[in-house]
Amino acid sequence: MIDRKQVGVSDDNKSGRTAREAAYIACAIVVIAIFAYVFTDPFVVTLAGYTCALALFALSINIILGGVGEVPLGQCLFFGVGAYGAAIGMGKVGLPFELAVLIALVLSVALAAIIGVITLRLTGAYFSIVSWGLTGVAMVAATNLEEITGGPLGLFGFPPIEIGPLQLSDPQTYFAVTATILLLTILFLVALRRSPFGAAMNSVRQNPHLARSVGVDVARVRLKAFMLSAPFAALAGALAVPYTQIVTPEVFSVANTVDGLLMVLLGGAQLVVGPVIGAAMFTLIPQAMNLDPNVRILVFSSIIILIMMFAPGGLHQLGVALRDWFGRKIDDDRSR
Amino acid sequence: MELLAQTLVNGLVLGAGYAVIAVGLTLIFGIVGIANFAHGAFFAMGGYACYLLTSQGLNYLAAVPLSVLIVVIIGALTELIVIRRSLYGDSHHGSLIVTFALGQAAVAGLILVFGPDPLPVPSPLGQSTMRFFGIFVTSQRAFIFVCSVLVLGALGLWLRLSIKGQQVVAVAQNARGALYSGINVPWIRALAFVLGVAAAGLAGALLAPISTIYPTMGYGALIVGFTVVILGGMGSIPGAMLGALLIGVANALFETYVSVSWTPALGWALVIATLLFRPQGLLGRLQQHRH
Repeated sequence: MIDRKQVGVSDDNKSGRTAREAAYIACAIVVIAIFAYVFTDPFVVTLAGYTCALALFALSINIILGGVGEVPLGQCLFFGVGAYGAAIGMGKVGLPFELAVLIALVLSVALAAIIGVITLRLTGAYFSIVSWGLTGVAMVAATNLEEITGGPLGLFGFPPIEIGPLQLSDPQTYFAVTATILLLTILFLVALRRSPFGAAMNSVRQNPHLARSVGVDVARVRLKAFMLSAPFAALAGALAVPYTQIVTPEVFSVANTVDGLLMVLLGGAQLVVGPVIGAAMFTLIPQAMNLDPNVRILVFSSIIILIMMFAPGGLHQLGVALRDWFGRKIDDDRSR
Repeated sequence: MELLAQTLVNGLVLGAGYAVIAVGLTLIFGIVGIANFAHGAFFAMGGYACYLLTSQGLNYLAAVPLSVLIVVIIGALTELIVIRRSLYGDSHHGSLIVTFALGQAAVAGLILVFGPDPLPVPSPLGQSTMRFFGIFVTSQRAFIFVCSVLVLGALGLWLRLSIKGQQVVAVAQNARGALYSGINVPWIRALAFVLGVAAAGLAGALLAPISTIYPTMGYGALIVGFTVVILGGMGSIPGAMLGALLIGVANALFETYVSVSWTPALGWALVIATLLFRPQGLLGRLQQHRH
């Protein structure tokens, strides 16, 4: 499996770890603040905000992929629930954005509970195929239920989107809000990983039979992880709406999930911020190099194949391997 | 009555096409042990190879076997370069991601080379129809049906009667036991992979004239293939054939009597019902430690 090597935190003591993490968080806040005030080009700042929303989606995928070790090809279902929830709540019912999103989040968790009970008995390819199939059903439903979803054309023309006093139509506010939510999510996931539940997920991924034998309720852990991942995907879907300004049945397309999966795999599934790094690479590099979307898919898919063949832990694993290699070299030199 | 008979015949013809796709998929699953998410891409390649050959002036009937040959070559190279190296390890979701990425890369490549728009593939059988007992079948559909039945029949006989075929069956039943009996398991796996994708390519070439070809045509085929294979039981070849006919007929009936726009959801409803009540599929064997 992926984790031949745990990410190297085991060797330092706890207070050192906390201090280092506080420093990381401070750095992240400073970087976000600098970014929001240095870059004034609305396009770049909005794109950065959208990238944060996508990173949130990638994190949701990674709760399943890096957490319990399944490939959630149907995760865009919850992304779509968030996007449609926000769009229908605002556009059709006239709710404020935050209330619509809240309802969508609750709905996504309930949906995850139902779907999880049915699909999580399956493992491996079966789980992936069936969850993919459910998004297909969702896409057909979104296309056909025209009174609610606007049919194939989707929903558009929303009132200005705002959370309390924060205007999400303003690029810098949009970026600040999505980046803050992303940062909070990362902190939550770090805490989750350290919690007993994180350890339980780890054991379920590495060896479900062994986990069961030491008293971990495998089915329950998998269902909880699934239900936990859903609201993050829904939140990502809702936060993408201010950027896309339209919600069509295409949000349920498997291509959406695949983008998220590519982000996770590029960054590495075993690092909490791996998906965020992957999301940044996935959106910013093609933008900077002005790549055709198909060239982008071709290049990133090929990279994924190479990564899976040679470094199944993601690019981060290559980094660790290089660090170890240099570290050993230095040790060798010292011992001489 | 006549409408019902016509619908059933349409369903059977549709099912025969599905069966070729699904048998390839189930062969790869049963023997290589991976769910080949790149299957749809090989289906599309079959269609595009057929387009390339016919646009060079070759007759469609000659182009079909040559397209299969092209897909066989691409499939063998894929097996050699990627599948063999990355999938026989122990990472159980690695194969899924690698084959999915392969499919994505192939579709993106097709879009870059041929463009995203649908292209026509001319067939000498054209739009002519045949009529049996008051039921209409277009010649191309009849051709698809006959080819599918012949290919599936030949495959069944080969598996049952030839030594290589028996070795394939042995690997599907118990790979380790087959290895201990002196069967060259890696070679059989490569053979099964190439045969499986060749079936996908054949289906692509056969269906190209009636559906036109476009780069993402494989996704539909892949989804249908998976629904059929899960319904019939993963790894079971008779199951795949039965599942294909069932889904073909069910789709045709649903389109005629209920709703065209909701038909794509029908296959998944059947699959979910199957997994709830008979997780091993209609004709599948119960397997405990296989993913």
